[in-house]
Amino acid sequence: MFKNDTWVRPDLRRYKNLLFWSLALGVLTYIAAGALMFTSGYLIDFAATMPLFAAIYVPVVLTRAFGIGRPVFQYLERLTSHNWVLKVTSHMRRKLYQVLETDAAFVQEHHQTGDILSLLSDDIGHIQNMYLRAIFPTVVAGGLTVLITLGLGLFDWRFALWVLLLLLIQIVLIPWWGLLIETKRKLRQKELNQKAYVDLTDAVLGLSDWAITHRQGQFVDEASATTTKLAASTHQSKMFQWARDFVAALFFGAIPACLMVWASWYFAGTQLTADWIGAFVLVMFPLSMAFSNVAQGIGEWPTYKTALTHLNELKPTTRTLPAQLAAPGAVKALTVSDLAFQYDAGSEALIDHLNLTVAAGQKLAILGPSGMGKTTLLQLVLGDLTPTKGSVTLDGVNVLQYQDQRTKLFAVLDQSPFLFNTSILNNVRLGNETASDADVQRVLEDVQLAELIAGLPKGVNTPVEEAGFGFSGGERQRLALARILLQDAPIVLLDEPTVGLDSITEQALLDTMFRVLAGKTVLWVTHHLQGVSQCDQVIFLEAGKLTMAGKPADLMEQNERYRRLYALDAGQA
Amino acid sequence: MIDKRLLRLPGMRTIMTMLAGLALVQAFVILGQGHFLAAGIVHAWQRKPLTGIWVFVLGFAVAYTLRQAITWLRNVIAERFARKTAGALQRQLLAKMYALGPAVAATEGTGNLVTMALDGIPETQNYIELILNKILNMMIIPWVLLVYIFMQQHLAGIALLIMFPVIILFMIILGYAARDESEKQYAGFQSMSNQFIDSLRGLKTLQLMGISKQYAANVYQVSERYRKQTMSVLKIAMLSSFAMDFFATLSIAVVAVFMGIDLLNGRLSLYPAMVALILAPEYFMPIREFGNDYHATLNGKNAMSAVLAVLAQPVPTPTEGLPELTGWDHGATLSATHLNFTYPGRQTGVTDANFTLHGGQKVAIIGPSGSGKSTLLNLIGGFLQPAGATTPFRANGHPLAHMAQPAWQDHLSYIPQAPYIFATSIADNVRFYRPDASDDDVAAAVDQAGLTDWLKTLPEGLATRIGEGGRGISGGQAQRIAMARTLLDTKRQVWLFDEPTAHLDIETEAALKATLVPLFKDRLVIFATHRLHWLNQMDWVIVMAAGRVVAQGTPADLQAHSQPYQELVAEMRGEFNVQK
Repeated sequence: MFKNDTWVRPDLRRYKNLLFWSLALGVLTYIAAGALMFTSGYLIDFAATMPLFAAIYVPVVLTRAFGIGRPVFQYLERLTSHNWVLKVTSHMRRKLYQVLETDAAFVQEHHQTGDILSLLSDDIGHIQNMYLRAIFPTVVAGGLTVLITLGLGLFDWRFALWVLLLLLIQIVLIPWWGLLIETKRKLRQKELNQKAYVDLTDAVLGLSDWAITHRQGQFVDEASATTTKLAASTHQSKMFQWARDFVAALFFGAIPACLMVWASWYFAGTQLTADWIGAFVLVMFPLSMAFSNVAQGIGEWPTYKTALTHLNELKPTTRTLPAQLAAPGAVKALTVSDLAFQYDAGSEALIDHLNLTVAAGQKLAILGPSGMGKTTLLQLVLGDLTPTKGSVTLDGVNVLQYQDQRTKLFAVLDQSPFLFNTSILNNVRLGNETASDADVQRVLEDVQLAELIAGLPKGVNTPVEEAGFGFSGGERQRLALARILLQDAPIVLLDEPTVGLDSITEQALLDTMFRVLAGKTVLWVTHHLQGVSQCDQVIFLEAGKLTMAGKPADLMEQNERYRRLYALDAGQA
Repeated sequence: MIDKRLLRLPGMRTIMTMLAGLALVQAFVILGQGHFLAAGIVHAWQRKPLTGIWVFVLGFAVAYTLRQAITWLRNVIAERFARKTAGALQRQLLAKMYALGPAVAATEGTGNLVTMALDGIPETQNYIELILNKILNMMIIPWVLLVYIFMQQHLAGIALLIMFPVIILFMIILGYAARDESEKQYAGFQSMSNQFIDSLRGLKTLQLMGISKQYAANVYQVSERYRKQTMSVLKIAMLSSFAMDFFATLSIAVVAVFMGIDLLNGRLSLYPAMVALILAPEYFMPIREFGNDYHATLNGKNAMSAVLAVLAQPVPTPTEGLPELTGWDHGATLSATHLNFTYPGRQTGVTDANFTLHGGQKVAIIGPSGSGKSTLLNLIGGFLQPAGATTPFRANGHPLAHMAQPAWQDHLSYIPQAPYIFATSIADNVRFYRPDASDDDVAAAVDQAGLTDWLKTLPEGLATRIGEGGRGISGGQAQRIAMARTLLDTKRQVWLFDEPTAHLDIETEAALKATLVPLFKDRLVIFATHRLHWLNQMDWVIVMAAGRVVAQGTPADLQAHSQPYQELVAEMRGEFNVQK
């Protein structure tokens, strides 16, 4: 799983000092724990021979030292390892952001279903756990195994090999057995968990539909079907874990039993050596935790593996653009010539040989059924998509050549502008980070939010999502409008900014928009005719082709279909 | 620590008694394990013949195995009980959610309810298991060991006894500090993780503003700032387990040293000292294990409380004696007098609404956003229930406290602004009210709703999976699917619409309207809207403002005489006024 990996291996090279100390302190914790029982055992055995007090002075001091050392090392180990993991997490977060950033214009479309974005952020959490619960404990247990084998080897290498074998059962055989039995089950549990989430969301969000059916039994059965399966599978996992822990504990218990026999035989020579027997028998007990952690941590390996696979599958998007130019000071006209676009050769044409010219300061309304190319046209104008044929030019220069400085030319307001969970001021200032507080205040007045915001407890510093206060749809659009006013680009693209608003709010927002955007070139995609009469040109886009185009007043006079739609919208049909 | 409500769970007392018995047996087995180990060491120390050691090794092995086996058995028994209890709670919770209806989603939050049913139930199960194992351990095992150690060596026994409350005290003191800190940290974690997801969701906006590349540095800085906060919190939070470890290991060291000195002076023999040393860590083991699971215990307790709180909510009961409606015919009436409703913690709602609706009336509810149109519609549908013990509704003359009546709701179809699409096939979505409908009926309903052309473009047709994790569909398509769902169940004679065309483009809306209007015939249609053209199809209009009904009547009457109506319509018409 680490082959071609770009998410774990590079990070293991970061902060090597911290990483070393995390692992070293982990080993030291258990050394101190074992040494406490070892010296205590020796102390008592030796004291029973009633030597002079001075003789037991050293073991007495050591006993106290190890007694204090164990909790101190453990405390430091936990802090160090968390610190290392969190430092690495910051790198992982930035990296995930950067990979997704290469596809910024389409990140919502490409990652929409099931909120994949938050799943990706969960994956980073899984990698954190992989370090803390699987990798670190395994390395620590491995280190202890080596130390114990070497230590016993000083006395009797054959017995040392036997203990090594028993320890390898703990850190290799038992975890391997666990993976063998549990991998499929864990993956299934992950799937069931996702399905249970969907089922329960369905149940809760569909409650009004369910309520009027009066099928309570079926509702409970359907909503709990997957969670019941999940509970059954978790039950099996638990049953296995306990059986595994039992077997592991028996093998572990064999070590002190063997030590008792071996020490009785090996150290029975003189009373001086016999004093060591208690020490050797007791040393293993405090180490059991170090070894049982391994099987548990490795047991979650399938989860870590899927998380890592997800992350490794993310590839940065690359796009070839022509040589980039500086943005011009002024634009006289935007020209769409013979423009065609389809995603690939087999799919239907979303834009079909379109020609269009919008002069500076003109307002163009774009109408048409949904899914018929309106948004695609805006994406082509922006340069987020490369045309299959034809071009969009600003005074003869292809828009694709202005991508680096695009924000100086284009501003965009879409259906659901994103407001970041920060203050109103910061949200508006995203449009131009050098804007002064007075500039922000001016645009907020322009969009008629100044009064509302002045009434908030913290004014412009109020977070946009603070509990108990939320902006309505119309107000969110006004905030986003303030943001693009601050951006002050000559061409503004509006992608159905009033959809879903009631007609009163809509009219007020349209009035504001046309007032503050006077003088700018505007391309406005809309779903009905309210406000269209304020535009210089109207086009109807159907299946990527123009089916109607002209001045609103002319269409009203000459076009039957336009009149019918107008009458419908005005409430006369 | 033990929630009293736990003891009231069916079968809890029996299972606790049984497991306590096993814990007691286990305590003696642990004693046996310590005894054989100590005796074996003494035997070897005295350099007696090696063959004699086997008795002690065997004794140790038997006790050790028995101890592990009892742990296993106790886990299995506790889990069996906890799983059954949690499973029953799960079903009760879902049944309760159903009985409470959509209002519960509004008050508790959708995400909360889903998390409660998905994660809260396993956490509750875990909590019950922890109580049955770890807490019983702590209440039984240390005390058996302590009595034995005390019998062997008074001083060690007293030292260990004193240490126990000291550890508890420090755990409580540090636990409080850690809890405050970790609550802060949890809030911080939430905001951090939200902030990160926020920056991913807002990527497009950042790109449009031309700052998406620089923002990567911000992502890193925020994460680093969070790390520093977390570390300062962890320093305190981890002190609690440090204190526990510290006192436990230090008291083992102290006991060892005291006994060493006693042995040195000949006041003590080896066996009692050795057995006390071996049992001392076992004495502390249960409280240390409990400390490690302390947070899981707290989470479980909170999760269980949340579930039990929902289970304790009162359910609206249908009025007795309401005769089954056989159909909604011309003579049927629904009226409301002095109807009031307020959302908890908010000012908005419906105040003193009065109206009478008959048979196949077409009723529009109009008014500005937030004027209470949806609330009124939800009250009529029975999804919300008016407060108090009054009976504001009358159906065919029967006084009713609320409309959550099966006899009424069986005749309802409800189509909201954004109808909910279930994560299943299109056909199953359409069949929702009538799971037994034939394929032909489904095809007919789908055709009536104007979906046939779209379905032809889908390779899997009606079997295409939609909803969460399925194929994405537009707002218009979702509306049409909801329409087909309604059309399939012809016996539903009352249609409630909540701004069903707000998201549609004008031509799609016109097409959908052409489908709908003929089907309004013989049905009671109640339609909340802010599109003017629907008023042409209505024969009664209720005008709302700030939760009150400010005018009602036929459109023609209102147009002629009602000032609130004229003003509202003028405002809704906006610039269309000018060019009339």
